Amino acid sequence: MDFLSNPVVLSRMQFALTAIFHILWPVLTTGMAIYLVIVEGLWLKTRNPNYYYHARFWSKLYVLNFGIGVATGIPMEFQFGTNWAPFSQSVGDFFGSILGFEASMAFMLEAGFLGIMLFGWERVNPVMHYLATIMVAFGANLSTFWILTANSWMQTPAGGNFVEGNFIVKDYFQAIFNPFMLNSVLHMFFATLETSLFVIGGISAWYIINKRNTDFFARSFKIVLAVTIAVAPLQLYIGHSSGEQVYHYQPTKLAAMEAQWETIPAGQSASWSLLAITNEKAEKNPWEISIPHLLGYIIEFKPKLSEPVQGLKEWQPEDRPHLLGLIYYAFRVMIAIGVFFAGLMALSVLQWLRGKLSSENIWQQRWLMRGWILAAPLGYIAVESGWIVRCVGRQPWTVYGQIRTVDAAANLPPGEILSSLLSFASIYILLFCSALYFGSRIIRQGPNLELPVPGVDEEAGLDLTPAEHKPNRRPVEAQQ
Amino acid sequence: MESLEYFLPQVWFVILALFLFLYVMLDGFDLGVGILSLTSSSEERRGILMTSLSNVWDANETWLVIMGGALFGAFPLAYGTILQALYIPIFLMIFGFIFRAVAFEFREHANRKFFWNIAFGAGSFLAALGQGFALGAILQGIAVDDAGHFIGGTWDWLGLRSILVALTLIQGYVLSGSTYLIMKTEGELQNTHYLTAKISAVTTFIGAVYLTITTPIFYESARDRLFTQPLVYIFALIPLLGTLLIFLLLRSLYLEQERIPFIWTILLFLLSFLGLGLIVFPYIIPTKITIYQAAASPSSLVFMIIFIGFLIPIMLAYNIYQYIVFRGKVTGGNYGE
Repeated sequence: MDFLSNPVVLSRMQFALTAIFHILWPVLTTGMAIYLVIVEGLWLKTRNPNYYYHARFWSKLYVLNFGIGVATGIPMEFQFGTNWAPFSQSVGDFFGSILGFEASMAFMLEAGFLGIMLFGWERVNPVMHYLATIMVAFGANLSTFWILTANSWMQTPAGGNFVEGNFIVKDYFQAIFNPFMLNSVLHMFFATLETSLFVIGGISAWYIINKRNTDFFARSFKIVLAVTIAVAPLQLYIGHSSGEQVYHYQPTKLAAMEAQWETIPAGQSASWSLLAITNEKAEKNPWEISIPHLLGYIIEFKPKLSEPVQGLKEWQPEDRPHLLGLIYYAFRVMIAIGVFFAGLMALSVLQWLRGKLSSENIWQQRWLMRGWILAAPLGYIAVESGWIVRCVGRQPWTVYGQIRTVDAAANLPPGEILSSLLSFASIYILLFCSALYFGSRIIRQGPNLELPVPGVDEEAGLDLTPAEHKPNRRPVEAQQ
Repeated sequence: MESLEYFLPQVWFVILALFLFLYVMLDGFDLGVGILSLTSSSEERRGILMTSLSNVWDANETWLVIMGGALFGAFPLAYGTILQALYIPIFLMIFGFIFRAVAFEFREHANRKFFWNIAFGAGSFLAALGQGFALGAILQGIAVDDAGHFIGGTWDWLGLRSILVALTLIQGYVLSGSTYLIMKTEGELQNTHYLTAKISAVTTFIGAVYLTITTPIFYESARDRLFTQPLVYIFALIPLLGTLLIFLLLRSLYLEQERIPFIWTILLFLLSFLGLGLIVFPYIIPTKITIYQAAASPSSLVFMIIFIGFLIPIMLAYNIYQYIVFRGKVTGGNYGE
């Protein structure tokens, strides 16, 4: 148990644990916020109360996730200081200011309008409420933008140089729009959206298959399906171009993703490894199944590459990423899920076109619905896998090519890190179980279709005057 | 350029103080309400206490996240050193935040609310305690080498002085929470918090007096600077104003005014902040590292003023709007959904 006395390993474990746990919650809230904007917009446009009930029902799951997302996000920011002080001091000039932008531009926007979105239905007029929902969604996605900008910069640092170990920004524009930034932001944007869509679709499918509120949930199922038509293929495309960027900018990571020990010279056929057992000590894969020419097709749409693919042996062991099997399989799991999502979408669209998804007979599509229920948790696994490839594959660097992880970590007493790590582990297990328990309870209870619809006068249509302030009454939403 | 290197860190010192003040003022009453909930006699009362915070706690806590990000960007050296030195208090605070945050939703859905009641109250207490220790430790001094890197031990933050600061801060939060609840509740519940406000006003005052008297003795550099003219007049004014404010606060509590006590409390916090700022300036790690030594490059500071500084009025505007939307008394025990 050597690692228990190694502060770098312990700090990495803590960062990995807190990051892996944290991302579970904002993934849903950022993506679902867009869905909430869609249904509330449909409600304002059509005045069909069903859309209002959709907004109310899904926001129950939303707020459950939101609380945990906020609570687990704070350790992420503070850990840069507590456990990675040398890193913070060296790149704070740029990296810290980006986190500051995220907090003030995005996080506060989300927090500042969340109260109105959740509890303000009776207190502001519907248009103002809709504006609040849009601000929450915008704030959440702006967070994605800044966080992915900061992380992309760690992958492909640009826009300045290191002077005596400290990064000095020369050109903010270049640093923000670093090579990885655009693809990474889009990849994560679509990841949160796609995960949320399949969660909403999966839960809707569960109601449909159980013939509970079939009409109601056929509606959300179709909204979700309509959006995935664009999202699922686009995500595959962006994922693909992200992979190409790794090939150009982070050759060690690409070699690890492919468990490629030997360099494939330019002009030779490049096969793509499908399954393998890796052995880091022997520097080879004792067992492997690969598909001939496929890597060539993936990278350049032809069997033979014009540039070499460098193998891991090109670098000294201390300059290569480790945990090879993890990186290799995480990458394949992510791709498999992305392809499965696209296939499920295509199949569902086919059934839709054949008229099999009408609210009378959608429940007969049992296998399709089961597929969607199965898909509900997969987005999370894909997101986690992708981040593992991205950040474990970046090793041994914290800032690729510039700051090694061993130099980025603070030299803390191992016992100190171990105690916070164990505290995090036990608290997060408790939170995870509680969230599953309460989440499934909300789902089993189902939507409340009895709630009074605010601001709508049957005769006159939308009433745009602000709701009267009733100081001695709880808003209607409290009386559920 | 020379003057810019002094001017920009000073601007950021003020902006950071503003963020921290907003945080202490706003989340201070949240944490105070949380601590007070530990003494609530009924489930219904606890429900009202939590409802009074349900729509604001998150935005209030965000001021600390903004302060953290801005400190990280504007004074990277201080961010790394201070947080590493305060490892245990920071994580106490974070664990407290986690319990406090999830308690809102989980308690609402739970049949047996006991555990989440404790999570809310004890989480708030833990967060306040961590913050108090952190503040106390910074005032106590952090051991750094010439380059400003932390060289102290795991338990350096713990000392008689930091315990006193923590206790005083908790009293201050309880006072702030009590006066907030006087505003947001009525009847029996309001009466209870007139009482808690009076008690905590006195205990806060005792702690503050002790800390005010001992601090200039503690810091040689602060003493030298503060006892020169004209600063000595300002510095002498602060305890006088503080005593006056405590008197006004107690008077408004006896007169059973509803909003005025909260305003006096905020002014008390503001005054303490000014006092602390005067003592600490120009240090960011008191008496070792100045804001000029810890500052990021001037171009970064300018860039951050553009992206964060100009957002401050906008952030304040929509936060105030949210308070206006949810003004008035809270009566229902449901946290709401």
